[in-house]
Amino acid sequence: MPPLLEATDLTKRYGSTLALDSVNFTVERGITGLLGPNGAGKSTAMKLFLGLLIPTSGSATVMGEKPYENVMARTHLGYMPEHECLPLSLTATEFLAHMAQISGLPTGAARSRTADILRHVGLDEERYRSMGEYSTGMKQRVKLAQALVHDPEMVFLDEPTAGLDPVGREEMLALIRRTGKEFGISIMLSTHLMGDVETTCDRIIVLEGGEVTEAGDVSGFTAESETVYIDVYDDVESLIAALSARGLEASVDGVSVAVEGVGDTEYDQIRDALVEAGSRLRRLGPRRRRLSDIFRDGSE
Amino acid sequence: MSSPEGQVFDLGYRHYDGPREGRTRARRALFVNGVRTCFGLGRGAWAKVLPVLFLVAVMAPAAVLSIMAGLLGEVFADVLDLPGPQDYYAIVSPILLIFAAIIAPELLCSDRKSGVINLYLVRPLSSNDYVASRWLSFFAVSLVFIYAGQVVLLAGLAMGSEEPFAYLQENWAHVPRFLLAGLAIAAVTTTIPLAAASLTTRRAYASLAVIGLFVVTTVVVAALSQIDCITSPDVEQSTSGQQANSDSTPETSLAVMLGSGGPAELDNSNTVCEPELGIVGRWARLLDFGGIPLQISDLIFGEYEEELTPETELIPLPPSVAVVWWIVIVSVPAAVLWSRYRRLVT
Repeated sequence: MPPLLEATDLTKRYGSTLALDSVNFTVERGITGLLGPNGAGKSTAMKLFLGLLIPTSGSATVMGEKPYENVMARTHLGYMPEHECLPLSLTATEFLAHMAQISGLPTGAARSRTADILRHVGLDEERYRSMGEYSTGMKQRVKLAQALVHDPEMVFLDEPTAGLDPVGREEMLALIRRTGKEFGISIMLSTHLMGDVETTCDRIIVLEGGEVTEAGDVSGFTAESETVYIDVYDDVESLIAALSARGLEASVDGVSVAVEGVGDTEYDQIRDALVEAGSRLRRLGPRRRRLSDIFRDGSE
Repeated sequence: MSSPEGQVFDLGYRHYDGPREGRTRARRALFVNGVRTCFGLGRGAWAKVLPVLFLVAVMAPAAVLSIMAGLLGEVFADVLDLPGPQDYYAIVSPILLIFAAIIAPELLCSDRKSGVINLYLVRPLSSNDYVASRWLSFFAVSLVFIYAGQVVLLAGLAMGSEEPFAYLQENWAHVPRFLLAGLAIAAVTTTIPLAAASLTTRRAYASLAVIGLFVVTTVVVAALSQIDCITSPDVEQSTSGQQANSDSTPETSLAVMLGSGGPAELDNSNTVCEPELGIVGRWARLLDFGGIPLQISDLIFGEYEEELTPETELIPLPPSVAVVWWIVIVSVPAAVLWSRYRRLVT
């Protein structure tokens, strides 16, 4: 079975600007984060998989098909654009039922799917109001709803948290997690916010300047670099010496001793080092490094 | 006896495994949505005002004409030469053009302005499907507005006559003619405004541009279409003998009565008319974009008069030129429309 998404030497050029430079990656089921600063080529990559753009060279395939060549390949895709895309004079119900039909659903099915999906995104009460009266958060939810109304296998969410306040952002991310885990719809989520990826995505593809700089499981990104912080009542020198003797990378971080790259076996060594140095332990605990730390390191 | 108990089930997310009808359904949905948009259906009351006003406006002249014909009776109606189905499109043409200019751009401009177009084009639908569906929806709406007056006129004239069925039997040939002529008109009133709408996201700009185009060309063509008529004295003398014998038509007797100081025997057959501006005047109607479909209509109704007479208001094109030019003014905007939407996906 072909992968859900596959980019092969995917290149997109706008005039003299190279938006994507011979990019290769595959995306499997689950929630994939497409992370990168503005202008990194995230939206371009999504639009190529949706058939809104045609590659300059290389290919972008969805379940083995090229959506820019065969429009039927888009039957099971959904798209939530970054920018405004709602006809504000319509009600959410009318708009969604229309979009469901555009996706090929018969009238009756379109209506019942509309009611279902509006309930899932939490717009049950407001469904007969024209969308011009909606708040930013509600508009974002309608945008998500129209991407899901035809029950796609894969949705592309372009900066879904843009313009939302912290509460709205958290609600949107919760909704996206539900869509991925509970509804079983695969998601590609683009964002320039590390936090969004960290809390929501299974896998991550980092785009910078039109190239893939990193790709892998989010848990791998954070787990591999788990740091344990140790606070002791005594002086830290002997502890650091004992840790270093066991080959652990220890350093002073504020009042704590930070030990990098700790896995299961390293915990035993930390215990032994504490005993050897005779340190009286006040607190010991891991702190997951945030993705933002990784990128700060990377960019330095 | 147990009291009835309600239970709430959370059905959770249900997947859709029913039919997916793809492009066919998408095209149909866009067509229906286009028609509803034109009539303001599914929107507020204000959106319906304009379409209703236009519909009334295209039917009102037909109602007035058929009432007049009914009151006057057939003989008087003939003498007064009341306009019939063959003249009706010329009467309502300005209304149809303004209607098309105002309503049609709504179908394309707002989708691009609001960004909905990007949601359409990621669904099982090509840009060609989109444009074709929108074009067809306005074409269908145009036909409703174009035929509405003719239907009222035909029904009104039939009911006003003493023998409605006999009237219909005598005049049935008007029906295929006005149906065919309506298609020629709708093709122009659909394609030109939609092509203009494809060039801007501002509906008002597109409407003004189309109205401007029709108004300016009408004025220019009228100005260029002046004709000069010369009555040759030789011909006048040689035919004056016959003149006395021949029945004088109502027009000539009217002209004689009004022709104070002029030659008493004014006859069109002795009069040679030429465009005042020569070749420019002869071809001026190529600019008459709104009027070209009316010339096609005249051809279909058998009313095409190529000869210039003192009554000629606008110098007609040769029939073959009119047909070719009609094809050009439909196909060029159609090509613009098509290529504009093709370029949305690059």
